[in-house]
Amino acid sequence: MLLSVQDLAVSFRVGKVNGNVERAGAVKGVTFDVPQNSTVALVGESGSGKSVTAMSIVGLLPENAECSGSVLWKQHELLASSADQLRAVRGREIACVFQDPMQSLNPVMTVGAQLVEPLRTHLGMNRRVARDRAIELLDEVGLPEPARRFDSYPHELSGGQQQRVMIAMALGCEPKLLIADEPTTALDVTVQRQILNLLASLKSARGMSLLFISHDLGLVGEIADHVVVMRHGEVREQGSTERIFSSPADNYTKALLACRPTLQDHVARLRVIDDHMRDAVAARPTAKPKDPEAPVVLEVRSLAKSFWSPRGLFRKSEFKAVRDVSFTLRKGHTLGVVGESGSGKTTMGLSLLRLHEPSAGQVIFDGQDLLTLTDRQRQVMRRRIQIVFQNPYASLNPRFTVGRTLVEPMEIHGIGKDLAAREARALDLLLRVGLDPSAFGKYPHEFSGGQRQRIAIARCLTLDPEVIVLDEAVSALDVSVQAQVLNLLKDLQDAFGFAYVFISHDLAVVRFMSDEVLVMKDGVVVEQASTETLLAAPKAAYTQALLAAIPRGAASVRS
Amino acid sequence: MAGYLLRRLWQMVPTVLGAVLLVFFLFKFFGGDPAEILGGLNATPEQIATIRSELGLDEPVWVQLGLYLQSVFTFDWGESWATGEPVGELFATRLPATLTVMLPILLLEVIIALPIAMWVAYRRGSLVDRTLMVITTLALSISFLVYIIVGQYLLGFQLAWFPVQGWSDNTLTNLTTYTPLPVMLAVLVALAPNIRLYRSFLLDELGNDYVRTARAKGLPERVVLFRHVLRNALIPVLANVGLALPGVFVGSFLIEQFFSIPGLGREVLLAVNRSDYPVIQAIAVYLAMLSMIINLGVDVMFRLVDPRVVLK
Amino acid sequence: MSVTSVELEPAASQIHSEGVWRAAWRRFATDRIGVFAATIVITFLLLIAASALGFIAENWEAETGVPNARPHFLGPAPVVETSVIAMPSGPNADLTELDPLAPRYAEWDAQTKQYAVNETTKAQTLAFGGDWRGRDVLAKAVKGSEISVFVGVLAALVATLIGTVLGAISGFFGRRIGDLLEWIYNVFEAIPGILLIFAFAAVFGRGMISVVLILGLTGWTGLYRQVRAEFMKHGSREYVRAAEAIGASNTSRMFRHILPNVSHVVLVRMALLVVGFIKAEVILSYLGLGVGVDDVSWGTMLAEAQSDLIRGYWWQLAAATLSMAVFVTAFSLMTDAARDALDPKLRGLE
Repeated sequence: MLLSVQDLAVSFRVGKVNGNVERAGAVKGVTFDVPQNSTVALVGESGSGKSVTAMSIVGLLPENAECSGSVLWKQHELLASSADQLRAVRGREIACVFQDPMQSLNPVMTVGAQLVEPLRTHLGMNRRVARDRAIELLDEVGLPEPARRFDSYPHELSGGQQQRVMIAMALGCEPKLLIADEPTTALDVTVQRQILNLLASLKSARGMSLLFISHDLGLVGEIADHVVVMRHGEVREQGSTERIFSSPADNYTKALLACRPTLQDHVARLRVIDDHMRDAVAARPTAKPKDPEAPVVLEVRSLAKSFWSPRGLFRKSEFKAVRDVSFTLRKGHTLGVVGESGSGKTTMGLSLLRLHEPSAGQVIFDGQDLLTLTDRQRQVMRRRIQIVFQNPYASLNPRFTVGRTLVEPMEIHGIGKDLAAREARALDLLLRVGLDPSAFGKYPHEFSGGQRQRIAIARCLTLDPEVIVLDEAVSALDVSVQAQVLNLLKDLQDAFGFAYVFISHDLAVVRFMSDEVLVMKDGVVVEQASTETLLAAPKAAYTQALLAAIPRGAASVRS
Repeated sequence: MAGYLLRRLWQMVPTVLGAVLLVFFLFKFFGGDPAEILGGLNATPEQIATIRSELGLDEPVWVQLGLYLQSVFTFDWGESWATGEPVGELFATRLPATLTVMLPILLLEVIIALPIAMWVAYRRGSLVDRTLMVITTLALSISFLVYIIVGQYLLGFQLAWFPVQGWSDNTLTNLTTYTPLPVMLAVLVALAPNIRLYRSFLLDELGNDYVRTARAKGLPERVVLFRHVLRNALIPVLANVGLALPGVFVGSFLIEQFFSIPGLGREVLLAVNRSDYPVIQAIAVYLAMLSMIINLGVDVMFRLVDPRVVLK
Repeated sequence: MSVTSVELEPAASQIHSEGVWRAAWRRFATDRIGVFAATIVITFLLLIAASALGFIAENWEAETGVPNARPHFLGPAPVVETSVIAMPSGPNADLTELDPLAPRYAEWDAQTKQYAVNETTKAQTLAFGGDWRGRDVLAKAVKGSEISVFVGVLAALVATLIGTVLGAISGFFGRRIGDLLEWIYNVFEAIPGILLIFAFAAVFGRGMISVVLILGLTGWTGLYRQVRAEFMKHGSREYVRAAEAIGASNTSRMFRHILPNVSHVVLVRMALLVVGFIKAEVILSYLGLGVGVDDVSWGTMLAEAQSDLIRGYWWQLAAATLSMAVFVTAFSLMTDAARDALDPKLRGLE
């Protein structure tokens, strides 16, 4: 056995209370093995302790961490090793690749200088040999023009290229084990696909083992031989990938597999963790088709948005973030907007509410062009189109109680006759979005991400809007929470007939929510079709690439 | 590069203009009547009227502003009201003394503080580190004046290791004989805040992901700190040199006053006490330009430590 | 998830959780150094209040001791034999016949006797020594603390007000008004601070209010810059965008939404300004551009102390330095503790 982790526990000293050290447990008794020439995946949601487990193997935890148990590397105890012994293993025998390549590379050193370091430290190569070897490595990880890239700085490379550099750096000393900690999470789906393929081919070519850490079961299904499912610092279940996907034994694993929307079937609701944990798994009804003749609430014609930046003494350069976007949205329908980073999808969403002032086009709402309204007319229209943002931690004012957050919009628009009426309505809405009334007097930091998104949704509801823009509203949430919030959004749409503009980078989620889909790239709409048509017969090459890049680990194993 | 410098100099124009306007209107609206100051206590109204028309004070404000701008850009500020010395000449003769004191301070306070900060950052949490932090906290709470008073008294007066004060016409003599004590005192004062600041820059960098990468490569902690972290921390250190510039001016002005060094600081202080407006105005405007140029130099040096900075 | 509407008494709104400020206070209270420093600062402030109200150090100008009286613990100055020429003994020569004023001496003597001679004996030693006029250094230090701290705090308030308002406007609105304010900022930054202070001092003259104005009007730039950066950062935060989406006005977003979220930054920065301005006042007063000639501050004390020291009278220097060092150290430590307690990273809110 290459690596054997036995009964590993990690806790962090978080402070002192009355002279006693307070600790927070992050990992509680984890056991798993990594055999030679195989891929083991640690899967779990945030707070599952998967990254802490991985980092404790190589001793890269913060100084306030305390580990117990055993980490055996080729029968040698790593937890008891001295700092020098650990350093000799790190980078030489066990190498790491991290989540955010931009942050993980030193910004002021050239790519080459960073690549050469482990070669010189561990293998004692001289300058010239190390340089040649580094260029070979860059070539091996598929970086174009490796000799020229050697002298580049990290910021001159794209995110995908940076991650390739990280991988090349990790492979330099021919390690026996590569720890990849969410190596593709910060990347766009199409790039993620390339990196994943690269890792798989390098692993088999070099006969090394891979410890792959991810929150995404679909991804893991494609690459791993053995899967370890973690939750709250404990291992819920582990086994071969086939076994985990075909016959999961643990309810949590079952829930994780079921709560991700898939591209294959179109359901009305997603299963949520609680259903599984209670063993109350009902059949999933297929979504009902929507009324195609529902009244049009929002019509957008040739919307465009440019940003200007100064160039030279007098000139300015134009950056066209959004170009010529048109669509119509009917009551009770959802328009999905899909695109990778930099596609202009978020700018488009903000322009609809004039949170960015659009450069051109019309946003026709109820016969009136929103973009030509006076300030007073606009104030009235604001009620009718609302927005939920991506980051649940930034979208609520930390100094406002939940109650004040909900009452404020009603005060501004004169909804409810007095404070008491407004508070009663706020409490009502809290129930509506599935929160306890006791939330009213609390501050945002007392809630989890999913709960905060519910509060943000409740804030929209206070104004009885007709259109809600959901800007990556579930992207920052764990899959299990994502499913709950998606279900809530669907329920609210059924109950109130909201029209959604659902912006996301995640095609599977868009598929679950939307009736029609806009695919955006570099500010331009490359394809616009009904969801079913788009999935069945994508026309644009970019849409096809996007669809092909989506990990379908579960499906590939099942079929 | 040349294009960048040109653009930066172009961008300075409105700032210089603003500084000139600020100084002009400050004295125009809040200052005393120059004619009365010039005429002295015994001047007759006729004499004052003559002075007024000589200075153009009976012209409309915008004409006066025009005259004033002319004096800025022709470097002709007329003569000092107090001594009759041409202001341009006064500035040119006093500047070298100020620079002889200021530049060594500016250089030494960075060069000495950085290695100490690196040492305590490397030994962070140790007894040395904590002791030094306590010392710097205390050192920071004592006024610059006390350092000078005590330093001058002990090292110059009592121990007579250095001349108490004095100045010569020879720059080398000044650098070897008269500046060591004042520069040493100013650097000593600047050490405490600089060490603390640089230490915090280094420690802030330690929390970044690239440090974890460097450790994951198996590099020794020494290499992580002195190769990876230090180069990144130099960026805020350099930025701080620009920010510290006003403080260096304060230091060198005070020092000129204490050690009777014939520099701009002492001159401007004399001018303030004598209400010698042309001298104050000229020195304020020209030193503003000087500090802008030093800051431009700092920005150009950024390119040396931060490859992400593009100068164009 | 129930969709039924339930009648709930609005009393639910009375259950308020611990706010951010109270949580910060709770954290502060566990910081021993911070609490200790705060105690010292409060003691100083009480002393200052007492002296401002005239309970103590009211008679700091009274020359209660001999010039340069030594501190009690040193004992009186040794008597130095200074007389070189012995006084002649024997009766004075009778000059009555030569002196034209002689007949009136008796009359003047009689007149003089009608006034009570109030010959106070001057103390040979004072608690912590006396200055060149024999004034009690301890009383001067108390009075000096009052003026120095008062100037520092008031100037910091002025600078904070200017910096916060301009920074908020510049960071929130940006565009034209932002450019204009940036220009003003650049102008103030371009002129080295000390020269700006000299220029302001040249036109405003000396005196306590002048010093406050000079420091306040020239010292706002750092705070402006930071507040501006915070407002720019928060202005694009999603909670502010959400407030705009629900139709909250500019003023409401600036002052109800953003300002409370950056107030800890302003507070910490203001505390740093207090320390900086106290130090600046000392220097200004030393240079003769500070508080009025009849006032006493740490700066004027140090100015006198310089010549005292050369003659070996070190106590005025020690009194001024010590009281300033203790106050500034305590204040800085308190600020550090407050910053840690308010640290947004610990709150997990940002």
